[in-house]
Amino acid sequence: MKRIVSIIMFSTLLFSAEPITYGWDIPHTPLVIGGYIDAICDEKADDSFIFDDLSILLSANKNRFDFLSEIEVSSLNIDGKSNGSSDIDLNLERLQLTYALDDKRSIRVGRFNSDIGYWNQAPVNILQETITMPHMTHYLYPKATTGISYIEQINDDDRFSLTVQNNRDIGDESYLLIDRHVAMSYHDVLDELTWSFSAGYYREEKSQNEAYYAGLGIAYEFENVILQSELFTQNAKDGLSKPYSAYVQSSWNFAKQQNAVLRLEAYKDEVLATEEVVSLLGYVYRPLANMALKGEYVHHSDLPLNRFVASFSVMF
Amino acid sequence: MVRVLFSFLFGTVLMAQELVVVGDENFPEDNLTKEEIKSIFLDKKRFIDGEKVLAMNYRYKHPMRLCFERTILEKSERSLERYWRKAYYNGKRPPKVVTSVEMLFSYFENVHPTIGYVDANESLDKNLKVLYRGECP
Repeated sequence: MKRIVSIIMFSTLLFSAEPITYGWDIPHTPLVIGGYIDAICDEKADDSFIFDDLSILLSANKNRFDFLSEIEVSSLNIDGKSNGSSDIDLNLERLQLTYALDDKRSIRVGRFNSDIGYWNQAPVNILQETITMPHMTHYLYPKATTGISYIEQINDDDRFSLTVQNNRDIGDESYLLIDRHVAMSYHDVLDELTWSFSAGYYREEKSQNEAYYAGLGIAYEFENVILQSELFTQNAKDGLSKPYSAYVQSSWNFAKQQNAVLRLEAYKDEVLATEEVVSLLGYVYRPLANMALKGEYVHHSDLPLNRFVASFSVMF
Repeated sequence: MVRVLFSFLFGTVLMAQELVVVGDENFPEDNLTKEEIKSIFLDKKRFIDGEKVLAMNYRYKHPMRLCFERTILEKSERSLERYWRKAYYNGKRPPKVVTSVEMLFSYFENVHPTIGYVDANESLDKNLKVLYRGECP
């Protein structure tokens, strides 16, 4: 395992001349293979230092078809054991096929990231400014959908999507495993300002609990600062809801390849019987475009989860 | 001396590099907006009139590419890095990279529809469609 990681990291450095080239073309096929690695050190995790994710991305683009799969080898600790059981624990994160109906409209089937809010578009460490994610991303709406989605580009930047699921999830989502989901979202880009609205309904597979959610997000990109904020609410039919979950996050590029991140979050979760404020102060160093070293301190006002988290991640 | 200096400065202003976005001679459109070009080069838009467009870029740090990124894409290097990281995760691919203008012209002759960009002077004697004109800052 260590050898594989070393090879990937070494080859990443070799191919860094063009900073935006990721993946390798498989000769004589339209396939591109790549992936990402996360090594996370979390004081509160069962294994304090783990290879949280080693994910393989396989994509192809042929005529009007786009194929994308993401297989995750999860929770490998540093000596290659997975939670003391087996070496390899494979999870299907995404398996999706998209067909372009015309210049602006497409249909997607399979298991894909739900088009909800900002985090679901890139729910992995290397793509975000922080290691830990806001409460809403795990508990208020489903990260993945196994179903069908209709996507329409309203103009070149704005898009609308409608998603439907009425079957079991073919993956193994750890937070919200659902068997029914209907969602709509709208994302709008106005130069440096973007905003999005998402709303939907889902049913959890095991408990059969049903819930409705809705949320609004806004982000603004200044020259050296990115501000992002989202507010979501969830209303469950069984009565235990998540009335609100919101955060404001700023990422300040204070020096070349270095960012400071501040996130203030507040949520009320009746299932967890918690209403608290979470503050996060983080530092990100990106020596190369596809590499990130992060450290952050997370402070919870209620839950005993105050801790320091550090990570190293590479995309290849 | 003042006249020489004035001529030099005036000449420098006149010679500001002009960038033209060009398509092959059978390109499905006669002109494109900056937003459409931006979408094609960021892999947000792949088809024009039902035809899949091949977008061509120069190598990293090439002066024309720097000009294109500032003038057309209107994104900083850091912003593009961030964009392509996320785009790659979602199955998008950046434009193909050519190492010379000759290589770019070879694509224009052999692959349809192809879109790229050149210095305005380079396109004069070629059978190319000028889709958009911009000036390097």
